[in-house]
Amino acid sequence: MAAALSPYRLPHAMTLPAAALHTDIAALLPRLRRFARALTWNREDADDLVQVAVERALGRAGQWQAGTRLDSWIFRIVKNAWVDEVRARMRRDRVMAPEQAGEHVGDESAEAQQQRMAIQKAMSMLSDDHRVVIGLVLVDGLAYKEAADVLEIPIGTLTSRLARARETLQGLLSDQARTV
Amino acid sequence: MMRFTDETLMAFADGELDAGTRHAVELAMRVDPVLAAKVEQHILLRRDVFRVFARTLDEPVPQRLRQVATSPKVVHLDSVRVAKKPLVAETPRRWSWPEWGALAATLVVGVLAGTMGVFGVQGETTFAAAGSDGTLTARGKLDTALTRQLASAAPAAGAGVTIGVTFVAKDGQYCRTFAIGEAAGLACRSDGQWRIPVLADGAGGAGSAAGAYRQAGSAMPPAVLDAMDARAIGPSLDATAEQAAARRGWSR
Repeated sequence: MAAALSPYRLPHAMTLPAAALHTDIAALLPRLRRFARALTWNREDADDLVQVAVERALGRAGQWQAGTRLDSWIFRIVKNAWVDEVRARMRRDRVMAPEQAGEHVGDESAEAQQQRMAIQKAMSMLSDDHRVVIGLVLVDGLAYKEAADVLEIPIGTLTSRLARARETLQGLLSDQARTV
Repeated sequence: MMRFTDETLMAFADGELDAGTRHAVELAMRVDPVLAAKVEQHILLRRDVFRVFARTLDEPVPQRLRQVATSPKVVHLDSVRVAKKPLVAETPRRWSWPEWGALAATLVVGVLAGTMGVFGVQGETTFAAAGSDGTLTARGKLDTALTRQLASAAPAAGAGVTIGVTFVAKDGQYCRTFAIGEAAGLACRSDGQWRIPVLADGAGGAGSAAGAYRQAGSAMPPAVLDAMDARAIGPSLDATAEQAAARRGWSR
């Protein structure tokens, strides 16, 4: 059975793949939310995006090839859902909503909060391609090869895109630092 | 002197270079402060961006997402007995954490608001309890192991709990990674209790493969490693420091 090939070593590999898929997707939710937050960086929008993506993934569960990386497949669905559907109905004006921007998180120091807001602002100014690649490599911690698989691009393309994205992000942060 | 492209320096910061090139960059960094500063900038940017979003992993996953992901079937009150049985009858496999989580969330939020949910794995005795606010606290043998067992010592036969590493978190708490049954998680000492911000399906959960590159040989799932990365300051405690911390009751 296909599920026996899964790299995730499901305890009972002979169970229905679809049911196992539900469980495995559920286990990925925290990472998907984090990645979505890097794309939209608004909590509600990010969770909307994850919901759309998970529904899509389950709706086309048959397209997932057991034995391949489930996380790569779903990250790709999240990215595509963002680009061709969800982004269009995002509430862009909420991007810098005061309650979000001024949100104080736990025991965060004032300095840490300032840095967080600066990074969030700079991320929001990146192009979609750049934000996606930053989200995959810096935020989720995927290896270059894995990120290239998600995007279905050659690793060289991934590397140069990542370098440009970082350069842009660094530039935006430096500009902010100068104007503060 | 060797010259390196910015892409190479970036790949160095990301741990993506082969051993030979990595060594060459390391040598160059010793004699070229400009190059060393560029590398450091890449490392700092990576660290800072990671930290901004890392906290998302600690947030409870909204129930609407859990429901979409785990099952189109809604857990009803009369399925409390399901605690002994799989949700989906045709899949005779053990419960993994997401399913427990989905069940507990439904019960706590929808039906039994204000009461306590309890968690166990594979029919073992309860090892964690969830408050109505969704925070998990260690109970029973997990609580005992976290309090008494040293990471440096081999687990007692039959104890069933493995302690991974002990470290000091940014907020000054002691935190310890653990594995129990097929679950693994992170516990941090707070108000005389071991709170569990992250609990994951350790042995077979999705993403185990992804964790391998992050920390070779580690059995901890990525969610636990990420939570650790986001919290830890400095290296993990050695045996002496662990014993001292245990003697002080894990308070600082």
